[in-house]
Amino acid sequence: MYIIIIGGGRVGYYLGKALLDEGHEILIIEKNAAFCNIITEEMGSVCICGDGCEAATLEEVGTGRADMLVAVTGDDEDNLVACQVAKYKFKVPRTIARIRNPQNEHIFKTLGIDVTVSATNIILEVIEKEVPTHPLTHLLTLSDKDMEIVEVRIPPKAVTIGKSIKDLSIPAGSKLALIIPKDHNPHLPTPRTILREGDQIVVLTTPETEKNLRTALTGI
Amino acid sequence: MEFNKILVPITGTKVDEEAMRLACRLTKKEKGKIWSVYVVTIKRSLPLDAEIASDIQKAEEVLDHIEMIAEEEGCEIETDILQAREAGPSIIDEAVERGIDVILMGVSYKKRFGQFSLGDVAPYVLKNSVCPVILYHQ
Repeated sequence: MYIIIIGGGRVGYYLGKALLDEGHEILIIEKNAAFCNIITEEMGSVCICGDGCEAATLEEVGTGRADMLVAVTGDDEDNLVACQVAKYKFKVPRTIARIRNPQNEHIFKTLGIDVTVSATNIILEVIEKEVPTHPLTHLLTLSDKDMEIVEVRIPPKAVTIGKSIKDLSIPAGSKLALIIPKDHNPHLPTPRTILREGDQIVVLTTPETEKNLRTALTGI
Repeated sequence: MEFNKILVPITGTKVDEEAMRLACRLTKKEKGKIWSVYVVTIKRSLPLDAEIASDIQKAEEVLDHIEMIAEEEGCEIETDILQAREAGPSIIDEAVERGIDVILMGVSYKKRFGQFSLGDVAPYVLKNSVCPVILYHQ
């Protein structure tokens, strides 16, 4: 597989090294000549000095025959442009962009970038999973449906403890799918189900209503 | 000074012939052998194994001529066409793979921005070679 990497910083360098070890043909495009020299000395002729956002540079390196383009520079804007030029001008089948600001994720998806990777989001998800007091954990994102499956844990002293589900203002786009109580006896929620401390509730929701859902179920 | 294994990269310039004659003189009689390679550089817009008929034909012609010179000098020679993105690294790889004793390169007189220039390949080979390198400048 021919993979083009835009950005020869630490992420691009280690990504390139790993892909080379897996036997892929790779090319790194890096603006900084000093970084280019380091990569060339260590990995051979797999790096060129240039701007990965420029169509002329991408044409020169044979983007038209690339199977994948991965933009991992430190600038979200550069990553977006590189991926878009690759996708729409050179018809690269798969584009992956690194995102620093998680708020840009939606824009990237809307503009047709296939996969986005946000370190901020990844760390946030790990924190949600590792810290038991965190009331909401993302389990799965259904990006094509713009929905997600989350788990909400009822914390001690939550104002909703002892209330039935019908008394809560669950947002319209959210569906409660499963309740796992402390005694590990899962059951399907009904309007009469009473919430108890430590209950884990699996919910299908949308990113927009996630905050309201957490407030409705935990009062936080 | 005589060597067992000499690698002579060929570029299709006038200096190739003299470089090959020098290589023959530096090869040990009976035991010595010369490897001569022509590197076809492939643009990144093409896959590395792309067959560029015109380049390969030129390489074959150049290597045939070099073989004739080696025969005239009475030397054992093996020729090969390499395909690579850049000539320098492929010459170094070839030297390492064949356990070459010395790389002998012919360099022609070139100017870049009004100054004498060795180009990109010769400096790369000088910097990265694991064996001695002889540059023959016509």
